[in-house]
Amino acid sequence: MQRRTFIQSLAALAAAGALPLNISQVLADPANAVSVEALPRLEGELTLYLGRGEGGLYENVIKAIEDRNPDLKLRIRRGPTASLTNAILAEAKAGVRRADLFWAVDSGAVGMVTAAGLAQALPAELTGQLRDEFRFPDWAPITGRIRTIPFNTERLTADKIPNDIMALPDTDYSVGWAPAYAAFQSFVTGMRILEGDKVTAEWLTAMNRKAKKFAGELGVVMAVERGEVDIGLANHYYTLRLKAGKPDANVDLAFTNNDAGCLVNASGILALKEGELPANFIRYLLTKEVQSYLAEEACEIPLVNGVLPPEGLPRLKTINPPQIDLTRLADLRPTIDLMRDVGVL
Amino acid sequence: MKRWSPSYPLAFIIALIAVMPVLVLMVLAADSPQLFDSRNLHSLTNTLALMVFTAGGAVLIGVPLALLTAYVRLPWGKFWLVLLAAPLAIPSYIGAFTLYAAFGPGGEIEQLTGLTTPSFDGLFGSSVVMALYTYPFVMLTVRASLLSLDASLVYAARTLGMSLLSSLWTVVLPRITNGIAAGALLAAMYALSDFGTPAILRLDTFTRMIYVEYNSFGLSQAAMLSLQLLVIVGLILFLESRVKGTHERPGKSLTLWPGRLRTSMMLLACMPVIALSILLPLAVFGIWLWREGTGSFELVYAWNSAYAALFAAIATVLFALPVAQAAISGKFGRLLERVSYLGFGVPGIVMGTALVYVGLQLSMLYQTLALLVLAYVMRFLPLAVGSIRSTSERLDPSLVKAARLLGASRKEAFRRITLPLSIRGIVAGAALVFLEVMRELPATLILSPLDFETLATYLWRVYEAGYFGQAAIPGLLLVVISGLALAVMFFGERWNQTDVIEEEPSLS
Repeated sequence: MQRRTFIQSLAALAAAGALPLNISQVLADPANAVSVEALPRLEGELTLYLGRGEGGLYENVIKAIEDRNPDLKLRIRRGPTASLTNAILAEAKAGVRRADLFWAVDSGAVGMVTAAGLAQALPAELTGQLRDEFRFPDWAPITGRIRTIPFNTERLTADKIPNDIMALPDTDYSVGWAPAYAAFQSFVTGMRILEGDKVTAEWLTAMNRKAKKFAGELGVVMAVERGEVDIGLANHYYTLRLKAGKPDANVDLAFTNNDAGCLVNASGILALKEGELPANFIRYLLTKEVQSYLAEEACEIPLVNGVLPPEGLPRLKTINPPQIDLTRLADLRPTIDLMRDVGVL
Repeated sequence: MKRWSPSYPLAFIIALIAVMPVLVLMVLAADSPQLFDSRNLHSLTNTLALMVFTAGGAVLIGVPLALLTAYVRLPWGKFWLVLLAAPLAIPSYIGAFTLYAAFGPGGEIEQLTGLTTPSFDGLFGSSVVMALYTYPFVMLTVRASLLSLDASLVYAARTLGMSLLSSLWTVVLPRITNGIAAGALLAAMYALSDFGTPAILRLDTFTRMIYVEYNSFGLSQAAMLSLQLLVIVGLILFLESRVKGTHERPGKSLTLWPGRLRTSMMLLACMPVIALSILLPLAVFGIWLWREGTGSFELVYAWNSAYAALFAAIATVLFALPVAQAAISGKFGRLLERVSYLGFGVPGIVMGTALVYVGLQLSMLYQTLALLVLAYVMRFLPLAVGSIRSTSERLDPSLVKAARLLGASRKEAFRRITLPLSIRGIVAGAALVFLEVMRELPATLILSPLDFETLATYLWRVYEAGYFGQAAIPGLLLVVISGLALAVMFFGERWNQTDVIEEEPSLS
């Protein structure tokens, strides 16, 4: 049973988490990720547009890379992903290029820049380090986030929640969601691809009757924890982070099976300038050190072969996300129109 | 014989600069497939309601506080003034978020005290938060107007047996309507264009539509919707321009010396405002700080914020002077002034992108401090123009004429008459810009020089990532630095005004 393997892998993970990192690495997949030790030194100047503020964690990764490479002069601009995307497009139009790399929070933004023909092709052996479903010619996913159903543990247990997202409207739980939030819109796009527009519209309409709107998915998770709603629809890491700060929080995660409800989306990086240096910088982000650091500290899902997912999350193998080409999630316009038509947005 | 005011050409150029981002929006919106969507009407109603309640709330809080800080001799008067102005430096989304987290079932207040408080959201919650973070617009503009009022009319009213309160109501208030209107206009425009607060408190407003479009890469659609918002802006700009002030000679302003008990009562009455707008956010972040521990904060962020805001305040005031001067010189000047307001009603995130397009025209300067400051000027010019204009337009023009008659050149008359008499408006304007720049985010993120982190961008970074505890220190620093800067500005204001007042007896 799906639920049981989830619990077991949770227990196994908790045990593995207690071990030093290299031992848990050995216990993980046979294919091992590249270590920073094996990478060339970075030298020269790089400008990175960083599509969100990660409270010091991406910062720590970047700082670690800088410390290892004293000859690298890295300059960073941080901003909301959509703003930076628009800025990059505006700069390209004006013939100005400031960024060498763009690290975006969602694959939709990556899609905009690649569609404008601004992204450089990446070496095949670089993208080859990623899991099969996350290999693209001109950008590299860095970490993943999975759609989850956070639930209030005082009211519900995981087995009370249907493992089919499409069955959610048939339950009588109150739901918190954040339709204006990019991750939610990607989820709806995923549902459109998997189930078609008509079914998606019906699902949204039915859910809308029992759903309470929030600005962002952190708000959703907080509302679930407070008991304002029974369950929520949110990316996995908000719950994990909330629990990290407040271990007795009344919230836990449930997963659906092979549908949009457990879609995996990714943050990604692309090179706007040709050359070795940007590509080599990307290599650093795909090392096992960086990937496991982001998994442990930011609760994000590593996408490189052979790195463990964050504690409190089952491995990508035990949950069963749907197979969707991430770049198809960039097709946002019809999703927005659909959500607006049914009165969700 | 009416000649064009010499301030016109300069004001024209400045107004043109200020309206440039709006022109960019028009170009961007030209690609938009849809002109108007009737489904937006519901959001529009909410937006209008929020705007009216915010402006109303800001006046209700701001005017009494302006009277208090202008006329009542308080112990540590400047300290209170600065503290009461400080909410303007705190991003309203931070306020909204902490109020939301503190109140309601399961909120921080319930966890600490066990008392269940009502939830804080919807139209009511949003209006309260917006009023709390915009009342300083009203307070500072009205205070500037109040201080340049001659108190003798009030003394006359009191001598004829009118009580203090009713003389304030019937003798003072009608003479400061333009100050109130200028402040309320700014509050209303802020409410129109803010996204964060209604989103967090779950009120469906027009800005949410814009934000959704912007985030789903429908920039042209977002630009189109922003332009539609400007129709409302145009309307309130028109309404505000109908408010007529009075012309009068300046004089020594009213000073009240209440007893210790009354003073304490008055200060006590201010407490809810300070508690909700400053203490509560800092306390909530403090609790989280205690729970989670600090992050990597560097003091240089505070320094960056402070000097960028200072440059912006100075530059904006310099740009605002000719525009304000033009506005009181005639109809065309008035139009120029109105035009320069438009950008303030555009949501920050869209405005930020429009400024990127403007900035890229000067690609040499793109992403330099100079351009960032210019972007702040374009964005916040109305704040300075409004408060300078509302103080100086009440000045009796005969003073300048008298000076000219006595042989002073135009320049000298401006330097020795107009400028000293409107210094309070100038200081208030500079203060507003300074505070607003301290919390400005979208333009700062894109247009600042590389590696230029400010308190606001750092706050955003940690807030966005959900590490709220780390917001405590930058939040506190925002208040402290704004306080220090305002203290310096208001000190300068007093130093300048002595000149005028000491000469006053010999004038009459």
